[in-house]
Amino acid sequence: MENKKYYPFTAIVGQNNMKTALILNIINPSLGGVLIRGEKGTAKSTAVRSLAELMPKLQKVKGCPFGCDPNGKVLCEECEKKKKEGNLTDIVTSPMKVVDLPVSATEDRVVGTLDIEYAIKHGEKKFECGILAEANRNILYVDEVNLLDDHVVDVLLDSAAMGVNTIEREGISYSHPAVFTLVGTMNPEEGDLRPQLLDRFGLVVDVTSENDREMRAEVVKRRLDFEKNPEEFSKLYQQEQEKLMEKISQSIELLPKVTYDKDILLLAVKLSIALDVDGHRADIGMIKTACTLAAFDGRTSVTKKDLKEAAIFVLPHRLRRRPFESGVLDAFEIEKILDSEY
Amino acid sequence: MKRLLFPFTAVLGQEKIKNALIWNVINPKIGGVLISGEKGTAKSTLVRGLSDVCGKNIVELPLNITEDRLLGAINFENAIKTGKKELEPGILAKAHNNILYVDEINLLSDNIVKALVDVASEGICTVERESISQKYPSDFILIGSMNPEEGGLRPQLIDRFGLFVEVVSENNAEIRAEIIEKRLEFEQDPTAYIDKYNNEQEFLKKKITKAQKRLNEIEVSKEAILLASQLSKDAFCQGHRAEIIIIETAKAIAAEKGLYKVEHDHVIEASKYALPHRMRQIPPQLQNNQDNDNNEEEHDNSSKENNETMQDNKEQNTEIENSPNEHKTNENNETEKNKEENSFDNSENKSPATSESQYSDNKNEKLDSAGDIFTVSKWLDFKSHDRVNKGSGRRSLVKTNSSMGRYVASRPFAKEISSADLAFDATLRAAAPFQNSRNKNGMAISIQKSDIRVKQREKRVGNYILFVVDASGSMGAGKRMKAVKGAVLSLLSDAYQKRDKVGLVMFKHETAEIVLDMTRSVDLAQKKLEELPTGGKTPLCFGIETAHTAVKTALYKDKEILPVIVLISDGRATYGKSKKAFDDALKSAEAVANDKIHSVVIDAEQDFIKLGLAKKLAQTMNAQYIKLEELKAETLITAVNMSIN
Repeated sequence: MENKKYYPFTAIVGQNNMKTALILNIINPSLGGVLIRGEKGTAKSTAVRSLAELMPKLQKVKGCPFGCDPNGKVLCEECEKKKKEGNLTDIVTSPMKVVDLPVSATEDRVVGTLDIEYAIKHGEKKFECGILAEANRNILYVDEVNLLDDHVVDVLLDSAAMGVNTIEREGISYSHPAVFTLVGTMNPEEGDLRPQLLDRFGLVVDVTSENDREMRAEVVKRRLDFEKNPEEFSKLYQQEQEKLMEKISQSIELLPKVTYDKDILLLAVKLSIALDVDGHRADIGMIKTACTLAAFDGRTSVTKKDLKEAAIFVLPHRLRRRPFESGVLDAFEIEKILDSEY
Repeated sequence: MKRLLFPFTAVLGQEKIKNALIWNVINPKIGGVLISGEKGTAKSTLVRGLSDVCGKNIVELPLNITEDRLLGAINFENAIKTGKKELEPGILAKAHNNILYVDEINLLSDNIVKALVDVASEGICTVERESISQKYPSDFILIGSMNPEEGGLRPQLIDRFGLFVEVVSENNAEIRAEIIEKRLEFEQDPTAYIDKYNNEQEFLKKKITKAQKRLNEIEVSKEAILLASQLSKDAFCQGHRAEIIIIETAKAIAAEKGLYKVEHDHVIEASKYALPHRMRQIPPQLQNNQDNDNNEEEHDNSSKENNETMQDNKEQNTEIENSPNEHKTNENNETEKNKEENSFDNSENKSPATSESQYSDNKNEKLDSAGDIFTVSKWLDFKSHDRVNKGSGRRSLVKTNSSMGRYVASRPFAKEISSADLAFDATLRAAAPFQNSRNKNGMAISIQKSDIRVKQREKRVGNYILFVVDASGSMGAGKRMKAVKGAVLSLLSDAYQKRDKVGLVMFKHETAEIVLDMTRSVDLAQKKLEELPTGGKTPLCFGIETAHTAVKTALYKDKEILPVIVLISDGRATYGKSKKAFDDALKSAEAVANDKIHSVVIDAEQDFIKLGLAKKLAQTMNAQYIKLEELKAETLITAVNMSIN
C-alpha cells in the first residue's frame, strides 16, 4: 500500500492542548503517552496520525525486529549478544513510527506467537513478533481504546508497566523490549476505560469541538481543501511543519539540561496530596511533564506555570474515582491549591 | 533479557512490603505474600528488586501464559527429529527454589489459577498431557500483587498466600518529594544509580544470609505457640494454617533481628501479616495494637531517615485501619445471614486447601460483604462458571466457545475442523511423537486429524442490568423518587467498577419507553436518570413487557451476557391492557419468570396501609424482593448478585 498522505499536524485548527500533549510525548517518550477523550469528529485520530510527519529519526540496529537502540542500555537478546561480540556496528536511521493496535486485534497478534510456517517447514519453534515488538521505541496507537477487549488490555498492562514483553505461550518462552508511548483515543460516551489502563497513560486531554463560528468554518474549509488536493494543501504547511520539527529536535536536546528546584517538587506533591491521587506515578509524571514543557518553551528551568500546565495534563484521570463526576480538572482548582497556604 | 531494576534498598518507605518479602526469603515456609494496593506504590518495583538482595531468581508469570508453558509440555522439536517423548518443563520448573511472581494476579486466567494452586500446595508439578506423564519438583515462594480496583481474587488462591500486605501511597510531602527525585535520578542514569546503592544492597544481602543460617536455631517457646493459636482463634481462622504461618513468620522476624528466640512481639507482629486475609472479625486486641501503631507511624513519618535501615521497622500501616469504617456497620447485619449461606456449599473441584477456607466457592458478593470488615470484598471474587457460555459479572472469567478471548489451554477436537479455532502449538505437540512412522510427503511434519487441538479460551463476561423505573405520579410523591435515584446510582457505581452494561426503561402515563439502550457508559445512565420526570398513570405491565423484550433482544445479540431486570415500583398499576391493570402486570411478570430471566423487585411502597402488591409481583416474577427503605447500596448490590447466581 502506498504511503497515504496525512493531514498536516500544523493545519489542525485549535485543539492546542491535544497538540501540546502529543508533541511533549515525542520530545520525551518517557512521559507515558497520552489519552485523548472527546466526542466524534474532533480531529483526535487525525492529530495522532499526522504525527508521523513530525517524528524524529532514531538510530536502530539493522535487521533487529525490535529496532534496538545501538547505544541503549537495554537490548534484545540478539543485539545483546552482538554487542558482546563487538558486532553491533550495522546501524540504520529511521523515523519513529505510529504503530496501530486495532481494537479487533487478537492476543496472539499483540504479544507475538509461534511461527506456524516455520514450524511446519522445519519442525522447529520460532517466535513470530507481534504488535508489541513493532511498537518498541515507537508510538502505539489504539483508536477507541475503551472498546479494547479485556484480555488484550491485560497483556498491554503487563508490558506497558515494565517496558518488556514476556511471552510464555504456545510453546514459546521469550522476552523482548517493548518500550512504547501509548496513545489512545476514545469517545467517553461509548464506555469507560479500566482504571488500571487509565493509569498507564501519562497525560490526558479532553477535547471538545470548536464553538467559535469562524473557527468552525475554518476547520471545514481546510478539510475540504485537503481532500480536494492533499499534495497542494500539504505544501502550504510545509514551512510550518519544518519549523515545528526543528523546535521539537531543539527541545529534545534541551531536555536533559532542564532543572527544577525543590519548591516545584514540593508544589507537585502538595497538589497530589490535596487532590488525593492514587500512588506516586502522578507526582513523577507531573515533574517530568513540567520539565518537558520548559524544554519545549526553550527554557532550562521549570516554572510554576509549567507545573500548573503539567498538572492539568497529568492529574485529571488519576483523581480517586468518583464515577459520576466528569473527571475533568479545571485550571482554577489547581491554581487554588497551588496558591493556598500549607 | 537483561533489565535495569530500581534497587530494593533505594525504595523509600513501604516497610510492610519490604518486611514481608524479606521474611519470606529468610524463611520460605511462610508461603509467600500477596500485596494489594493502589497503582504506583512500588509494589512491582520492590518484588522485582528482591532478586538482587536474596540470590534467588524472580520468575515472572505473565498474564498471557498458556497451560503448556506453565506446567510444561512435550518438546516437539526433539519429538519430530528423534521420535522421543521428552518433557520441556514449564516456568514452574524454573521457579523451583526461586520466587514466582505474578503481577496483576487478580487478572490471571482461571485455568492457570487452578493449576497454580495445585502445584503451590504440593510443591510438585505433575504433567499429564500429550502422552507425557512426569513429575518434577516445583517449590517456590509465591508472590502476587494486585490492584483491588480491578476485581478480586479467588478464595483458594488467597489462602495460598502466607502473608498479606495492603499498601497505600506515602502521604508525607517531604517523603513524596524524595520519591520523585529518586525515580527521576534513576531514569536519568540507571547504571550509575544502581552502583550508588551497591553497598546498601550488599549489606542487606549479608543480613538476609545470616538470618537464613540462624533460622533453624530459633527457639519457639510454648507460650509463643499458644499466643499464635489464640490470635488465630480470636480471628476465627479455621484449620491450623494460620498459626503455623504466624510461627514461621515470627521465626523469620527473630532471625532477622539477630535473636535466637521468638518473642511475644514477634508473634504479634507476624499475626498482622498472616491473619488479615484469613480472619473474619477484628479481635479487639489487635485493634488496640493498630491504634498504637497509628501513633507510632506519625512519629516515624516525620523522621525521614527511617528508610535507611531494615532494623527497627515500625508498622507503616495495617490492613485493618485501611478498611473503610462505614462498611463495618453496614456489613455486620449481613454477616449472620451469610454465615447460613456458607453452610451449604456445592462447589466443585476443590483442593484440600479450599475446604479449609471458610469462604464458599460458589457464593459470591454476599460473602464478600460478610468479609468486608477487612475489605475482603476487594479481594474475594465471583465464582467463575465452568459451564460453557454462561457468565456472571465482569470480574468472573468464563470459558467461551467464541474465538475471542484469552487462549489458555487446548483440547482435542471432535467435530468438523473447518470451523475450529486451531491451537497450532498443541496440534504440533500432539503430532510430534508419531513423525517417525508417518509419511510426510516432503514436509517437515505430518498432521493427522487425530492430532488436531483447538484453543480453549477464557473471556470476561459482564452483566446487563436493566433498570425499569416507575415514573408515574405516585412515585413522585414525597422523597420517593429521590430515594430510588439514590439507590440506582449506588448500583450504577458498582456497575461502573465491574464494567457491567446498563440500560434504563421508564414507564408512566400510558406507555413504557427505553430511555437508554444497553450501554457501558454509566455516566450516560446517570444523566438520563437525573432528568427523569414523574407524573401520570402507572402502566406497570408495559414497563415489564418492554424490559422483557429489551432483554430478549440483548440476549439475541450476545448469548454470553447475563441480564438482570431491576424493577423499581410500588406495584400499584393503574393502567394496563384490560381494566385489571395489576393482573396484566402479573401476567407480564410471569412471562419474565417463564423465560428464566433474573430479576429484582424494589418495593417503593411507602403508604401507611401496605397493599403488598410489589411483593406479590416479585413472587410471580421469581425475583429478589427488597423494600426501598431497607435499601442500602450494599443490599441492592447483593440482591442483584444473588439473583444472578
